[in-house]
Amino acid sequence: MILVKDLSIERSNKKIFENVNLSLGTGKIIILKGENGSGKTTLLKSILNLIEPTSGSIYWKGKLLNKNLNDFYNHVTYIADKTTSLRKLTVQDNINIWKKIFLSKIGKSNIENILKILKLDFYLGQKVNSLSFGEIKKLELLRLIIENKKIWILDEPLSNLDKETINVVEQTFEDHCAKEGSIIFSSHQDTVINVTEEVIL
Amino acid sequence: MISFLSKIGSFYYREYKLNLSGFQDILTNIIFFFVSIFIFIFSIGPEKETISLIGVGIVWTLLLLSSTLSLRKFYQDDFENGNLLLMRLNGFSYGFISILKTFSHFLFVQVPFLLSIPIACILLNIANDKVVYLFASFAIGSLILSCLGSISSSMNLMNQRNFLLGSLIVMIFSVPIIIFSVGIINMEKNFYSLMSVLVGILLIVFSINPWASGLCLKLSLENN
Repeated sequence: MILVKDLSIERSNKKIFENVNLSLGTGKIIILKGENGSGKTTLLKSILNLIEPTSGSIYWKGKLLNKNLNDFYNHVTYIADKTTSLRKLTVQDNINIWKKIFLSKIGKSNIENILKILKLDFYLGQKVNSLSFGEIKKLELLRLIIENKKIWILDEPLSNLDKETINVVEQTFEDHCAKEGSIIFSSHQDTVINVTEEVIL
Repeated sequence: MISFLSKIGSFYYREYKLNLSGFQDILTNIIFFFVSIFIFIFSIGPEKETISLIGVGIVWTLLLLSSTLSLRKFYQDDFENGNLLLMRLNGFSYGFISILKTFSHFLFVQVPFLLSIPIACILLNIANDKVVYLFASFAIGSLILSCLGSISSSMNLMNQRNFLLGSLIVMIFSVPIIIFSVGIINMEKNFYSLMSVLVGILLIVFSINPWASGLCLKLSLENN
């Protein structure tokens, strides 16, 4: 589905990475590893067409990505290292907004179950401001289920999470791939996720 | 098409919720506007004629200053918390995001000022027949200010250290708007011709806005 061919990125005359190749097919999980500043986030952003590469190309369903961008965006969920939840609003408000924005058909009971698993069900009426960073991160990951898209692109999804939540996330990744989804994510941490390909930057 | 319209609807639902939770910001702007009017009245003195003569100019200047106060938050919050990125990935182009945000600024920042105009006119002893002209000129002028605000705030995202630069740009480009808007009220016979000039300015900034703001948003997200 996604093919990255000889991708290189330079910024301010400094090479971030060069000649990266990867191929993400149905049911695959790709992990990006590397030190701080090695360009993991930059690579993820360039796959999303948010950063223009210096050279190389990215294809989506056999066509150049920038010629097929709207269709690509309809199939992809991106979880950045920043959390996009609106801090002034409650957890419930954020969920409602995401459901409306992404035209999600997920049922109320489904969301309640996931919130229970993530131990966020007690915070529904609380403002996001009052949650810890780990809890905000868990809320952010809920967006994967709300958006319900085939391709997940995630920047450090396991950071700031406790062991129990990491296990839930790892299980969710495997379930998603079993349903013909695909995932690219970056991580510093060792993981038990059964990855198809490891890209070292 | 229906899903695209639903996405636009949900964007404004989000803006409504955000503005409702930050209602104190809107209220502060309005209070700033009225406190400034009182300061002008006290500094000018009790002569009704003088106040009513320069009242329209005062209202317009304060409307401009007050709406400039809100410019910092135009894109900044959404930029910092990654929501601009989310909007882009939700299928909105950068230019279209700027149009949506401009209307949101008009609705949630300028419209409360528009509704405050009659009270300001009473305080400044502005004749009843002039209130309608002031209302009409501000309805067009505030939309121009929102477009200029969008351009300057998106430029500010690339220049995080100097917020005043953006406000300065808005102030400079607002001079013709103030000239024509105040002119409408003082030269009622030329109402339609001066309104046409204002609408012309609106059409120019409205067509430049998505192009200029969109480019600034793209560049600032690329370099973030």
